[in-house]
Amino acid sequence: MLLIRTFEEALLQRHDHGFQLLSSGQEAVAVGLCAALQPGDPLLASGRSIGAALARGVEPRRVMAELLGKATGPCGGRGGRGHLAQPSAGFFGALALQLGGGADVVACIFGDGACGGGALHETLNLAALWRLPLLLVCDNNGYSVSTPRSEALAPKRLADLALAFGVPGRTVDGMDVLAVESAAVAFATLARSGGGPAFLECVSQRFASHSTAARETRSAAELLAARASCPILRLQQRLEAEGILSVERRAELEREVRSRVEEALRFADASPYPDPSALVHDGL
Amino acid sequence: MASEPLAGVKLFFREAIGRALRDEMARDRRIIVLGQDVGRFGGSYREFAGLYEQFGPERVRDMPVAEASMIGVGVGAAAAGLRPIVSITYMDFLMLGLDPLVNYAAKLRFKTGGQLAAPMVVKTTAGAKGQGVAHSQCLEAWVMSVPGLKIVAPSTAADAYGLLKSALREEGPVVFVDHKRLFPTAGEVPQGDGSVPIGKALIRRRGSDVTIATHSYMCRVAEEAAQRLAADGVSCEVLDLRSLAPLDMSTLCESAARTKALLTLEEGQLPCGVGAEVAFRVQAELGALRVGRVGALPVPVASSPILEAACLPDAERVSVEVRRLLSTHEVTPAKRGSA
Repeated sequence: MLLIRTFEEALLQRHDHGFQLLSSGQEAVAVGLCAALQPGDPLLASGRSIGAALARGVEPRRVMAELLGKATGPCGGRGGRGHLAQPSAGFFGALALQLGGGADVVACIFGDGACGGGALHETLNLAALWRLPLLLVCDNNGYSVSTPRSEALAPKRLADLALAFGVPGRTVDGMDVLAVESAAVAFATLARSGGGPAFLECVSQRFASHSTAARETRSAAELLAARASCPILRLQQRLEAEGILSVERRAELEREVRSRVEEALRFADASPYPDPSALVHDGL
Repeated sequence: MASEPLAGVKLFFREAIGRALRDEMARDRRIIVLGQDVGRFGGSYREFAGLYEQFGPERVRDMPVAEASMIGVGVGAAAAGLRPIVSITYMDFLMLGLDPLVNYAAKLRFKTGGQLAAPMVVKTTAGAKGQGVAHSQCLEAWVMSVPGLKIVAPSTAADAYGLLKSALREEGPVVFVDHKRLFPTAGEVPQGDGSVPIGKALIRRRGSDVTIATHSYMCRVAEEAAQRLAADGVSCEVLDLRSLAPLDMSTLCESAARTKALLTLEEGQLPCGVGAEVAFRVQAELGALRVGRVGALPVPVASSPILEAACLPDAERVSVEVRRLLSTHEVTPAKRGSA
């Protein structure tokens, strides 16, 4: 979580990254979920993908290179933030895994904004019908760009969307990484044992506006409240209270993370841009 | 890979599709069929008949009426190593699945820098046959403009067989466009491999006065017009595009350079159509050329048989346009742009 936050803070100092959808504030959802995944389980992320990619273990230097449009990004600078992919955090279908007979789980993170669209309902129907090992994780930050969830979506609990299809649904506090982890582990275990899909709603708060190109529409008070519920701070306080994390160890962790992020920036800066002359013939 | 023209077997167009699938599915276990009514029902045109019985419900999967997820599941399965063919019964409803087709399948190799690919076929049926405004459209041109998609549109049973085989062997997504009025037509399908390369047009009829560049069912209309015109001493060359993306510019230009007149013919709409693309590109390569185009009238296709027939190109309209084209003087580059 600390890595994601520090990474995004460093990225924001730059002006050559196009536009980004930041995960700051919502780190616990991706990190809690990834704690429930095995190395072979594919994770499909939405456009808010930085947190998911780093949580899944994609190297920070390669993520940074991709976001800055460099040839050394996992997608060669062609995917960028919205289409960040690496086999460990890539685009894979649940169907193929079922046919292959493996015990893998496919996890998919999407926002509350996706819950009004037909694709989610089509997916729920098929996943239930075919008992696919699919873990649908709704990272519900309460806004579709500027539209509050209350004005966009009728259900009181988004996890209830799954119930009509007979898919188990649960809502957890998305700012509590341990709550996310324990719910994700339970659903992943269910899917691995042939129990089919599940829907996990994580209620979260984003710290910044929808994207670096979007105006902030929330009040100062609301933003302050969001920041007060910081998932990193919360875990830190708990670990300190339990005597697991010392002040020294925390400072050490912060130093480690800062140095990894600095290295990522150095790597990305030193990397070449993709060759535009190869654009048409290469990779289509 | 070479086709064996000897000892062909006569098949209906719909049977040629089923035969291609059967042969390829037996050869390659990664091929699965997804779509509405593709299972026991055997497809709306019986083009999938027997596949469910032979390959079972895992490889021949009926899906709910949800085109976005049909194609979306196809893309995911393809990225994961399978080779799905997704059936969209009416091309009119392809638009419900355009997001996964265009934004995921077509771009997958590009946007992942080659880490993933989507080897899949979207088979869909175009053309009018008395079914009205939302079950008749030919929307090939819509998908021709998408980088990363290949588009094929056979006009004969042999090409349906051969192009479908090639499409199933491609490393990226292919849209296979068949046609309602072609399903009951019969033709010789070669024994043996019989695959037809994507990107190769075929001259169906040799001629010297005008090249009619067309595809799918309209090849038959072009042939009929060519026969009529031949009686009056007008010699038409009928060029079956077979692949719309990529276009076979070499065969197109070779033909149009000989006849010095190009008529494009399509069942779909003219604005931004297949013909507009073909005509522009041929003219850009050859310079001075007489160019005309024939397509549907700019109205929806009604279900009334009289209105449907009035909307669609027929041999009469093609003949009139060929005569008009040939009566114009050869254009100089300065006059180009009036077509």
